[in-house]
Amino acid sequence: MADYTLRVRRFDPEQTSGPYWQEFAVELEPHRSVLDAILTAKEELDGSLGIRCSCRAAICGSCGVRVNGRPALACNTHLRDATDAGPAADGSTATVTVEPMGNMPVLKDLIVDMDAVHWKKIHRVTPWLLNRRPVPEREYVVPHEDMVDVTQTMACIQCGACVSDCLSMEVDPEFVGPAAAAKAYRFVGDPRDAEQRQRLRDLAEDPHGIYDCTHCFMCIDACPKGVAPMSQIMRLRRISGSDHQIVDRNNGERHEEAFTTLVRDYGLLHEAELLPRSYGGNSWFGKFHPAAGLELVDSLPSIARAVARRKVKPTQALRGHRLARRDLDAVHAIFERVEGDARRHELNLYLSGVEEEAPAP
Amino acid sequence: MPAHDVLIIGAGLAGQRAALAAAQAGASVAIVSKVHPVRSHSVAAAGGINAALNPGDSWESHAFDTVKGSDYLGDQDAIEIMCRAAPDEILWLEHAGVTFHRDEAGRLGTRAFGGASAARTYYVADITGQAILHVLYEQLMKHHERVDRFEEWFTTELVQDDGGRCCGAIARDVRSGHLDAFRAKAVVLASGGAGQVFRPTTNALICTGDGMAQAYRIGAPLMDMEMIQYHPTTLAENGFLITEGARGEGAQLFNARGERFMERYAPNKLELASRDVVCRAEQTEIDEGRGFPDGTIALDITKVPRKRTLEALREIVNIGRDFAGVDITREPIHIKPGMHYIMGGVRAGTDGRTPVPGLYAVGEVACVSVHGGNRLGANSLLDTLIFGRRAGEHAAHHAVGLPMPRIEAARLRDAQAEIDALVARVPAPGSRRISHLKRELGETMNRYVAVYRDAAGLATAHEVVRRLKEEAPRAAIDDRGAVFNQDVLAAFELGYMLDVAEAIVLAAQERRESRGAQFRVDYPRRDDAGWLHHITVSRNGQEVPRTGTEPVAITRWQPQERTY
Amino acid sequence: MRVAYWPGCVSRGFTPELHGSMEAVAPLLGLELVPLDRAACCGAGVIAEHNQELADTLNARTFALAQQVDGAELMMNICSTCQGAQSECQERLDANSAYRARVNATLDDAEPGLRYEKGLTNKNLLWLLVEELGLDALRAKVRRPLTNLRVGPFYGCYIVRPRARLGIDAEHPRDRYLHQVIETLGGTVIDYAGTYKCCGFPIVTMNKTASLRQAGTHLGDATDAEADCLVVPCPLCHLNLDLQQPQAAKVVGRPLAMPVLHLPQLLGLALGLEPKQLGMSKHVVKPTAVIDWSAAVVAAPAPA
Ligand SMILES: Cc1cc2nc3c(=O)[nH]c(=O)nc-3n(C[C@H](O)[C@H](O)[C@H](O)COP(=O)(O)OP(=O)(O)OC[C@H]3O[C@@H](n4cnc5c(N)ncnc54)[C@H](O)[C@@H]3O)c2cc1C
Ligand code: SF4
Ligand code: SF4
Ligand code: FES
Repeated sequence: MADYTLRVRRFDPEQTSGPYWQEFAVELEPHRSVLDAILTAKEELDGSLGIRCSCRAAICGSCGVRVNGRPALACNTHLRDATDAGPAADGSTATVTVEPMGNMPVLKDLIVDMDAVHWKKIHRVTPWLLNRRPVPEREYVVPHEDMVDVTQTMACIQCGACVSDCLSMEVDPEFVGPAAAAKAYRFVGDPRDAEQRQRLRDLAEDPHGIYDCTHCFMCIDACPKGVAPMSQIMRLRRISGSDHQIVDRNNGERHEEAFTTLVRDYGLLHEAELLPRSYGGNSWFGKFHPAAGLELVDSLPSIARAVARRKVKPTQALRGHRLARRDLDAVHAIFERVEGDARRHELNLYLSGVEEEAPAP
Repeated sequence: MPAHDVLIIGAGLAGQRAALAAAQAGASVAIVSKVHPVRSHSVAAAGGINAALNPGDSWESHAFDTVKGSDYLGDQDAIEIMCRAAPDEILWLEHAGVTFHRDEAGRLGTRAFGGASAARTYYVADITGQAILHVLYEQLMKHHERVDRFEEWFTTELVQDDGGRCCGAIARDVRSGHLDAFRAKAVVLASGGAGQVFRPTTNALICTGDGMAQAYRIGAPLMDMEMIQYHPTTLAENGFLITEGARGEGAQLFNARGERFMERYAPNKLELASRDVVCRAEQTEIDEGRGFPDGTIALDITKVPRKRTLEALREIVNIGRDFAGVDITREPIHIKPGMHYIMGGVRAGTDGRTPVPGLYAVGEVACVSVHGGNRLGANSLLDTLIFGRRAGEHAAHHAVGLPMPRIEAARLRDAQAEIDALVARVPAPGSRRISHLKRELGETMNRYVAVYRDAAGLATAHEVVRRLKEEAPRAAIDDRGAVFNQDVLAAFELGYMLDVAEAIVLAAQERRESRGAQFRVDYPRRDDAGWLHHITVSRNGQEVPRTGTEPVAITRWQPQERTY
Repeated sequence: MRVAYWPGCVSRGFTPELHGSMEAVAPLLGLELVPLDRAACCGAGVIAEHNQELADTLNARTFALAQQVDGAELMMNICSTCQGAQSECQERLDANSAYRARVNATLDDAEPGLRYEKGLTNKNLLWLLVEELGLDALRAKVRRPLTNLRVGPFYGCYIVRPRARLGIDAEHPRDRYLHQVIETLGGTVIDYAGTYKCCGFPIVTMNKTASLRQAGTHLGDATDAEADCLVVPCPLCHLNLDLQQPQAAKVVGRPLAMPVLHLPQLLGLALGLEPKQLGMSKHVVKPTAVIDWSAAVVAAPAPA
């Protein structure tokens, strides 16, 4: 048994006092969960402490909270880990800080309004199967791997932990967000769905869709079920741009194409070209496209500043650095061989796992 | 006051399936759940769902296994209906989007499960319940125009009209504390099980037998309540379940001496004998000193190839790691029998109808009875879906042409007054907390109404339950608010659990034989002459419950000795 | 210590002061840099987004080149984004021998004899400072403690998430190293909301407002916490936080003048180099204009 101070951010909507912190002293074994600590406080000290919970086993998705500033399920976070890990803890005290999840309005204590944010976004991705026709008499015959693959996103328990700390959503509340994007992949990756192209087009064209993800990995770390929403978003982009050639109005696909082409041509990134091409199209002429022109004017101050500060030489800005010939040849050979494959080859660690003899990461 | 053709209480698999079927049949539908639908306990079902869909398999074989598993207490007419309908239901689910496991040829693949003569369990890794529940919820979202969802609404009681017909329910919006009366031409109770009556249990905190008690209070009889299933592989400390799928994939049980003891108890089916058999074997090993010092048995999943474990038992890998600190791909995990499922429930026919007109019951809250004395693994999901669908359809058809019933405003006012009094309750000095009463109840039941039972223990349990019933109305309440007042809900739930516990104990006392999950040390034999019938418990308006009997429907399988 | 040095693209492109300052401080840290000037861009996650195998193969080539550097103990980078993108590729390459063989076949095809062997050590300068050099050794090298300098650590994303892939645990609290280094150099760590957030750069072409709002918010938070400057281990963060700072200020509607230092610049100052030598005049928000390095915050160099 060990003593813990459970520090809870509370909020009672029926009082005018606003949120406040309250501490509870609980005694529990270190391998017990943060939820056990919360429930101990609730059962023994204050029955009005609000928390959603049901399964206690990380499967119902009720108990998403922030523990020491990080999104998590209370029921699968050990007290031991909650006290010695993470940016907010210095390991010297056995204090566990619990707050409601972020990016969603708080209803009471640790309970947030999932409907207002999380479920609303789920609704945006047409979250049901649109059957491929004809519907077979028996089951759809589909590859084993595809079913295991979509099961990764099917494993999402809709807990909202990823939504809580999504950094794009923090600045753009309309962003479709990690959980809904993962849900979208669940259909895009499902060979039984008939509307993959339309789904992708919606996600790509939406200014707050898949190209609005800032690639911050928060959702990967937040997710208790290994759904890796960001990886699913990257796959959605890949399938959208490369398999369906969807050129979105958010410059997402163009940016990706431009980046890849520049690396192919120069071996290194050529920032001065990247910007105009992302807006205007993937060629040296891209910058003369009207959209690129507008954007260039818009970012001219930055570039002008860069030149003025002698960060960048005007000649270099135009030509860019590039690899030596023989290295460029090697890079080209790699591009040719890999991109020449009829089918993209992807190692999905979720399916393959890590080989036995591999050292722990 | 919302008014619908069909009101469905509970949004687990049974409730959601009923809602979809009723809507499909043209009814206006309301579905009410005290938690968001995807939090319903069906989400925890891991192992799979049974159906004789393979060409080599037959529904008769499935039905016979179920009858045998039930120790001949299951109603064979209902079992036939369920097993015949199973293949189509799997295909319906598959078409709706469930990501069932495929074989190498891309067709539906199966795994083996306990008590079954063929591998006929369809599954999605070890998140089958979650996958199905979430897909049904996808369908509910799709059909939002025809199904009104009341998420996080807690029903407190069922309402009858003057003629005794069930015409709706009173429910509280958990978010706001607002109380409302839901009127309906038919009410489908799908509120799940009552595992929390025991401690520990594999069941979630919300499984508090609300619906059983609510139906019981308006006169519906509860049936087979003595039949409490213990699951052979649960974690000692917190009761978490290690799915039977693990044994289906090849995991083995060992006692502390390293003996694969199932060879002695079920030489043919070994670890895959039916659950009551495996539980008794484990409990005997533990009681006779061959278990581990912490009163457990070892489950060795390392027998399953690691890659397969990671693909098909990932959730168990997580549970082992997160809740027992064990990497199950590398070392055995310690388990013991733990309370898991209640075969009994509100007595219901094969269309879900209960003896109370207008009231249907489906899923774990109901007793059809397809599970009889012992439920086979992966038959419960099937039960929820088949009878959920049938009840939804029947209720919808039945509702056509009926007038919308009325609920008097006074009725709602009374209910409101009751809650107001509860919220305002000043604890008497020395009154215990709800959590303490709940704990005493759970520990008592787990001690005396478990794998092995006897008259003295049952009498003790009965006494404790009665004492707690008296004490419950005085238990302390802290929360005086309206928004998410979980204290008030806990007070209601405690009341329901005590009613359910009483019925369980009464039925267990009544059945003086050993059958299925009920093993009476003082009556260790099955006695078909005296006890091949169901036991019911009903209250009929009185405070003192009465037990009764119902015949078992036998269509084609006469009782035989049961060996595995 | 001899390291295979991967400077990345941006440190030689839009933020040349990063590469420059790294070269300036390396000798002071006892680092011998062997530049991997034949290697290609890490892809910054964008190539992986386009084609995973392509990114994995390009980085496998970089890793293979690093493994050919004689006497190098490990590969070092100075860009969080490179660290994150390369770690991701390496995770896949190391996890599966069949996949590795496939990628190596492509490498061999492109450049006969080139081959990646599983298990490369690739560390960002920040990790190397703490884990290889050691904070005590670093402290001993400080000639001008950054006394009174209030520094906001800005880690960015790629170097702190996902924790498992990046090997962050109780034993290797890599998400505290920037804090530790600032303190070791004598500075004061500022606690502000942006420490582990995203600079917004990855979406600057897709959703410029959201991108700049991120940068602006963090800069504003740091200002409110009275930071003198931020320090970043990532040149892409630097672009959004410094180069774009005037635009970010417009988006968040408040004036901003927050100097943003590259990690080697902060090191260089404490090790006795002059702001100018470290390219600090090349910043948009010139640290030299905002902070009086000569007297206010930095002590005079201690006698050698
Ligand atoms: C850990 C575990 C694993 C299992 N694995 C399997 C398996 O592999 N295969 C199998 O066949 N079976 C399995 N089972 C059994 C099976 O999961 C359940 O029996 C089945 O899911 C019950 O479904 P249900 O729809 O009847 O109830 P539930 O899913 O429990 O749903 C009950 C619903 O009623 C609502 N409710 C309850 N009370 C109220 C109230 N007062 N007001 C409003 N709403 C209320 C709840 O909110 C919920 O929506 C497992 C059970 C457990 C515990
Ligand atoms: S990676 Fe993208 S979706 Fe995930 S949290 Fe960051 S911004 Fe949100
Ligand atoms: S993706 Fe993961 S974190 Fe996000 S809601 Fe689903 S389970 Fe929760
Ligand atoms: S209580 Fe169900 S996920 Fe935590």
